[in-house]
Amino acid sequence: MSKKLRVIAAIIGVLALGLVVPTAVYAHGVNIEYTSDVEIEIVAEYDSGEPLAGAQVAVYAPDDPSTPWLIGVCDDQGRFSFTPDTSKPGTWDVQVRLAGHGDMIHIPIGEDTAPTGGIGGYTQLQIGLMAACVVWGSVGTALYFSRRRNA
Amino acid sequence: MKKRIFIPVVALSVLSIILAGCIGGGATGKLQLYANGEDFVRQGFVSKDGWSINFDHVYITLSDVTAYQTDPAYDPHSETDIEGKVTVTLDKVYTIDLAEGDESAPPILVDELLDVPVGHYNAISWEMARAESGPADGHSLVMIGTAEKEGQTIDFTISIDEECEYNCGEYVGDERKGILEEGGTADMEMTFHFDHIFGDAELPADDGLNLGAVGFEPFAEDAESGTVIDMTEMHLGHVGEGHCHCQCH
Repeated sequence: MSKKLRVIAAIIGVLALGLVVPTAVYAHGVNIEYTSDVEIEIVAEYDSGEPLAGAQVAVYAPDDPSTPWLIGVCDDQGRFSFTPDTSKPGTWDVQVRLAGHGDMIHIPIGEDTAPTGGIGGYTQLQIGLMAACVVWGSVGTALYFSRRRNA
Repeated sequence: MKKRIFIPVVALSVLSIILAGCIGGGATGKLQLYANGEDFVRQGFVSKDGWSINFDHVYITLSDVTAYQTDPAYDPHSETDIEGKVTVTLDKVYTIDLAEGDESAPPILVDELLDVPVGHYNAISWEMARAESGPADGHSLVMIGTAEKEGQTIDFTISIDEECEYNCGEYVGDERKGILEEGGTADMEMTFHFDHIFGDAELPADDGLNLGAVGFEPFAEDAESGTVIDMTEMHLGHVGEGHCHCQCH
């Protein structure tokens, strides 16, 4: 066995030890997990400062901007609270309406804010052509180096 | 032999890459743009000073109608211009009769844009401009109708010459608008609240809308109205119940 192969075999053997040697087992362990929920409270008022008491509220999640995720009503102080699903990061849109007056606010939730507008996706034909180009390039590269090794 | 195969294969690969960029240019759909004078125009209403107003025609001239996809969403209260990641524009001038049809008439289709990029169009801008021909020639807004109060009936023609730019956020209403999917159709609406000009008797006299409205009385004194009103303060343009930043000149 060449020296190179012996080194590779030794490295593989050391890594394999980590899989087969039993670790210590502790009885009566305690697992604690936590989740961080974000509660959003909005306050809706007229320009005069008068609260939009009883205003209709519609909350839209980032993954479905067409369908309300939650519908509710503001209280007497124009307040409304909800806890967004943090597994859906992005911009949450909240619409408030009362007697012909209304407005919408946009609340970023999560690590990244998903874009509210797109610039257009790719058609199936474009995806297929791009995939074919990548495959062709990979095959060609492999054949090139294969020829050099055999030369 | 290998050279004879190699060159055509490379040429085919390059052609494929070029076609991939040219064909389709991304997913697209159709975007329709509507104008809506609401029931105030279609059914009439009572002004804050007690005049029962019914419209025969409300001619409004619209130009530079532009729809945007914005991120972050445009805030009309910021009083800035709209910056869109995607922008599509109607390149014509339109004179629309908001009173067209009967009391139950739907909003009026101004025009539609074919093959525009998909996404959420969440802002819109337009100019209320002076017409250069047609029934509103020389004016940006012409209101024709009758007003009645305490047995007195007035036939009126109220003409506005101010030109106004409206920059508006997202439509606020029963359903969201402007969400365009591949091969689909979406719509957006320019809404015009004429109760902001004349007030509304169904609201308290000290309601903010009535306090800001001029009522009908100034126009009653001159039915072929030369009365000048500040259209910036009238906040005529909306997107459903959503707001616009308005600048008139």
